[in-house]
Amino acid sequence: MSGGPLIVQSDKTLLLEIDHPDAQACRMAIAPFAELERSPEHVHTYRLTPLGLWNARAAGHDAEGVVDALIKYSRYPVPHALLVDVAETMDRYGRLQLVNDPAHGLVLRALDRVVLVEVAKSKKLAGMLGAKLDDDTIAVHPSERGRLKQALLKLGWPAEDLAGYVDGEAHPIELAETGKDGGKPWTLRSYQREAVDSFWAGGSGVVVLPCGAGKTLVGAAAMAEAKATTLILVTNTVAGRQWKRELIARTSLTEEEIGEYSGERKEIRPVTIATYQVLTSRKKGAFTHLDLFGARDWGLVVYDEVHLLPAPIFRFTADLQARRRLGLTATLVREDGREGDVFSLIGPKRYDAPWKDIEAQGWIAPAECTEVRVTLTDAERMAYATAETEERYRMAATARTKLPVVRALVERHRTEQTLVIGAYIDQLHQLGEYLDAPIVQGSTTNKERERLFDAFRSGSLRTLVISKVGNFSIDLPEAAVAIQVSGTFGSRQEEAQRLGRVLRPKADGRQAHFYTVVSRDTIDTEYAAHRQRFLAEQGYAYTIVDADDVLGPSLPSFD
Amino acid sequence: MSTSLADHLRSLPDESLAALLQQRPDLVVPVPADIAALAIRAQSRVSVSRALDELDRFTLQIMDAARLTRDPADGTTSVDGVLAMATAGPHPPAPTAVRAAVDRLRARLLLYGPDHRLQLVGGIDEISPYPAGLGRPAAELDPRTAALCADPAKLRRTLLAAPPSARAILDRLAAGPPVGSVPPGALQAPAAGAEDELPPDETNGGAPTGSPVRWLVDHRLLVRVAGGKGGTTGMVELPREIGLLLRRDTGPLGPLSTSPPPVAAVGREPKAADSAGAGQTMEVVRHTEALLEQLAAEPAPVLRSGGLGVRDLRRLARATGLDESTAALLLEVAYAAGLTGEVELPGSAARYGVDQQVLPAAGYELWRAGSLAQRWEQLARAWLTMTRQAGLVGQRDDRDRPITVLSAEAERAGAPATRRAVLGVLAELEPATAPTADEVQALLEWRAPRRSRGREAAHREVLAEAATLGVTGLGALTSYGRMLLAEATATEDRDSDDPLGLRSDAVDAGTAVRALDALLPAPVDHFLVQADLTVVVPGPPEPALAAELDLVAEPESAGGASVHRVTTGSVRRALDTGYSADDLHALFRRRSRTPVPQGLTYLVDDVARKHGGLRAGSAGAYLRSDDEALLAEVLADRRVTELALRRLAPTVLVTPYQTSRMLGVLREAGYAPVAEDATGSAMLTRPKARRAPARVSVATRASDPLVAPRLPLPRLLGVVEQIRRGDAAARAARRAPAAVRGAPPTGPVPAHSHSDALAVLQQAVRDKALVWVGYVDAHGATASRLVRPVSLGAGYLRAEDERTEMLHTFALHRITAAVLEK
Repeated sequence: MSGGPLIVQSDKTLLLEIDHPDAQACRMAIAPFAELERSPEHVHTYRLTPLGLWNARAAGHDAEGVVDALIKYSRYPVPHALLVDVAETMDRYGRLQLVNDPAHGLVLRALDRVVLVEVAKSKKLAGMLGAKLDDDTIAVHPSERGRLKQALLKLGWPAEDLAGYVDGEAHPIELAETGKDGGKPWTLRSYQREAVDSFWAGGSGVVVLPCGAGKTLVGAAAMAEAKATTLILVTNTVAGRQWKRELIARTSLTEEEIGEYSGERKEIRPVTIATYQVLTSRKKGAFTHLDLFGARDWGLVVYDEVHLLPAPIFRFTADLQARRRLGLTATLVREDGREGDVFSLIGPKRYDAPWKDIEAQGWIAPAECTEVRVTLTDAERMAYATAETEERYRMAATARTKLPVVRALVERHRTEQTLVIGAYIDQLHQLGEYLDAPIVQGSTTNKERERLFDAFRSGSLRTLVISKVGNFSIDLPEAAVAIQVSGTFGSRQEEAQRLGRVLRPKADGRQAHFYTVVSRDTIDTEYAAHRQRFLAEQGYAYTIVDADDVLGPSLPSFD
Repeated sequence: MSTSLADHLRSLPDESLAALLQQRPDLVVPVPADIAALAIRAQSRVSVSRALDELDRFTLQIMDAARLTRDPADGTTSVDGVLAMATAGPHPPAPTAVRAAVDRLRARLLLYGPDHRLQLVGGIDEISPYPAGLGRPAAELDPRTAALCADPAKLRRTLLAAPPSARAILDRLAAGPPVGSVPPGALQAPAAGAEDELPPDETNGGAPTGSPVRWLVDHRLLVRVAGGKGGTTGMVELPREIGLLLRRDTGPLGPLSTSPPPVAAVGREPKAADSAGAGQTMEVVRHTEALLEQLAAEPAPVLRSGGLGVRDLRRLARATGLDESTAALLLEVAYAAGLTGEVELPGSAARYGVDQQVLPAAGYELWRAGSLAQRWEQLARAWLTMTRQAGLVGQRDDRDRPITVLSAEAERAGAPATRRAVLGVLAELEPATAPTADEVQALLEWRAPRRSRGREAAHREVLAEAATLGVTGLGALTSYGRMLLAEATATEDRDSDDPLGLRSDAVDAGTAVRALDALLPAPVDHFLVQADLTVVVPGPPEPALAAELDLVAEPESAGGASVHRVTTGSVRRALDTGYSADDLHALFRRRSRTPVPQGLTYLVDDVARKHGGLRAGSAGAYLRSDDEALLAEVLADRRVTELALRRLAPTVLVTPYQTSRMLGVLREAGYAPVAEDATGSAMLTRPKARRAPARVSVATRASDPLVAPRLPLPRLLGVVEQIRRGDAAARAARRAPAAVRGAPPTGPVPAHSHSDALAVLQQAVRDKALVWVGYVDAHGATASRLVRPVSLGAGYLRAEDERTEMLHTFALHRITAAVLEK
């Protein structure tokens, strides 16, 4: 028995005890082939998946090395069957190759003829394969490259894609690390550099970093690496503007080189920022803005918040397999369970870092998560008990009892920038009146929104009530406290996004606070527990307190 | 010859005879009466065949040499002759090896006699007709071929002249066996054309159907022999002389090898092999337990034809995350180890066509209490000795029905021997050598060619099963697997050699368990609790810890360690079984190596707060009133204490007795209760008088009994007809002849009267005449009937009874007499 830090489970999960002296070395050894699934405070869980093992093969790791790493760090004997399974799974990769044939263009070539015969007969590949050129080679239409790879993955015979990427139209882009227009010099953070490097080495893929950890800069660095025209897909216009600001500040790009392709403006420039919304808008059932993908010879496509990628864009992406693709996200948790599609179409996860690690390095603010449970009044309980099932969450989430608690929390942090986040407009209006704070919601005009944000940024406005529009990519600097009163049911991903609002490092290194106000003994509590699951797995320990503790006068020590 | 064998046996000293009997134990079951009987048995086909099964390939080849060098006159040979033949090839074996082989054959009484007059035991030629794969001498087959063989120069010329396709056939037959079947028509002359130009037909397994065979037969190189199925297929045989000539390159006996084929196996790190195997043992034990738990939760019905249904196997496999073949293997092993058993179902379930179920047996509890290594040892031992071939499950039997788990079709008496043989091969190699399946196959084939033939699939299965069970790791026999095998063999030897167990200390049982124990992780008594409410046990939990965790958390992942999650449901379950919130806090504090997260503490308190918020119970009746004072008065009233009233709420009392009794007691005590029905509305009670069931008044009857009923005409006509028919029957009965009417015969019916009756009946069938038939019915009573016979045959008379217009069937042997109606 080696007494190592790793415990290999028979369901192919790996448990890594992080307090063990060898834990860091073990993590480096298993990271290439195992996916980090959960990273709570003591034991991190990794999982061996076929996809992960194949990605490792693609990155040049062989089965022998994987087995060695498992045996070397494992505390207990590793089951023989699992080792055999790992070796067999990895052996399936690369029996088929996608290569560029000088005469026939893109072809599927087999190193194992039997496999080619097997997949060629599969119904799932019908129509994707062209003529048989010889016993080992079948022609493939370039437009089917993505779908073919996806289908082969599902058949369990992943193809090694050696066809490479088109370079796209060259365009000079540099990171302006020396500071631009009198700005301060800066450097890419170590993990950002690692993320860019592993993305570039892999060609395409997804980078997972916590909110506030500077994903935009990873995108900018990738562009500087590609030095080619770039298409950036973002969730909404506001996020697009933020990207634009950031790119102008951090790279050699100028305002004229960056175009905005949205509902308001249709500019196509060397670097174009488009919203998902405009791409998926239809006129008479046809997608009218798809030409954008072909408008220029893009060398790089960046997908911001890739977990929100709408289904139609998946389909367009399948056609873009020859271009480098970078997906950026904080959580790969998709409530529709289509994580697999993200991997096969955009690319595998290239970089992932536990939130707590980045927090320990000081790049995101330490946050204290607190769930405050309010007890409904008898009248509210009665109304809740007799409500229709579909009304129950709204009733519980928008209980008036929450208002005093929210006010008490705002009072407690009266010197700090505080966001109050909710999902129900009526409730937000109540809160706005009760707290005497302005509201930002979907119907707020961009101008008004920018004015409020500026006020909030400058500190003249301490408290802001925002609706779901605040979930994504709006630039709210230095918000130190977030209080969420209601949300989109049990969305784990929304919870992570909202926490991200307060994770940007504070100038004075202060702690951030993230409060969730829930109604006790209702469905609100259950949803809250579900929402917290992802962050709890990232090591955020929620403290649960009663509303009385918040409202009560005798808590001076509570910070 | 048999007399001389008996003489030989008689001349042996006692020790030698005993040594011989040890080599061939089947000779003394049952103990033969005398030496002559022993000699006969020693030459019997079964016994000789059994002795041959034990021999390795080289010894068998030496025996073939002895057979080939026999003097045709008296059937004897000599050691020198054998030696000469064995060393005739280009790579001769060492003479000592040959002599050793001869000694082995002698020790088994397959050869006997002095060196210069070696004799072969009888019966060998029946078992394998072609020694060393060579045919019979040409002289026995065909005189013209013999003539050819007598002229070496001509034979050589003929051979060299053979076309390549014919030569290929010769080479194949020369390698043995020397006979081949020929498709019909191959030996007939081709219809037309030059036969030499016909190409060989390679599609038929390489055996040319065209001219080559015909060429060979025509040139006397092959001889047609009788045989083959149904005469549609011809057989050809290669004469011994030609075979020997063709074996110039390899020697007359074919390639000889005195030692087993070498193993080019990958050497594994012994520790790595042990470690992989040990990991697998943990898996096997865990999976078996999961399977049995699943069986306990939902027992599997035993099929009428025996075994468990395919669907049940699939369900068990899915529930435990195993593939079906592994699940089948583990179920078989668990059954063999006595961990499961059938139980008769009570009558109610038998309605659904299920009589028996498979459930974990009583031994399961004992097994579960053992250490990991002990549990594995129990399983592995059962596997070694079980007469079941689990690999057959899922395949189809002779009648094309799927073979199911635990069914009789998977029973193979030879399975333990096969396992012993395969593992024995692994055990003889250097520790941690991992031969491939083909290499193991080759070794087995050399070691006992006669036994391993046709068992290739079974051997592969044993290797796969050994890997699944962790007996081997990374393809090599593990150290503890080796010990287990030694123990199992030793137990067997001891049982036969030392029935009283006097030398039980010779092999220490349990070394395998101890060796495995050292490889397995030690049980842990603590866990790590994390903020996401998962509980990680970093190793196999102690039984006490496992029991606690089973109660307070849901398992999420198992293996070397286990991950559990504490949920509202699991905490509630713990509270239900009697834990209090404080107990749970104490449990987590005591067991956890890490600080208990606040979220978990809060969860426990929160669930405990709500636990028991609703209370359920049963009562016979309730008593409620809006007047709390009144209820208090009732509760305090001594006259109603017999009702055992209990206050549930200020306004509700309950009693275990029925409403009626409570009402009676309350009324007697002077209260005025009113009963309620299920919807809460008041029920009025009135005294109820006893009554008999309702009856109908006579006045409502349809007719007056005093007035005669009037019948309609058609009905009357019917009555008349009925009467007339009865009358005719009565008259007819009266007229039945005496022969038919007579008293039942006391003895058997006389044969002549019976045949008379048959003649009468046959005549009556032809004439369509009426016949009086007397017969004895099933109860032995005699009766007679006037019938018109319709047919006679198959031991039955079919006849029409005119009176009742019915067709009757009489068994002929019951008919006593038949008389024509006059």
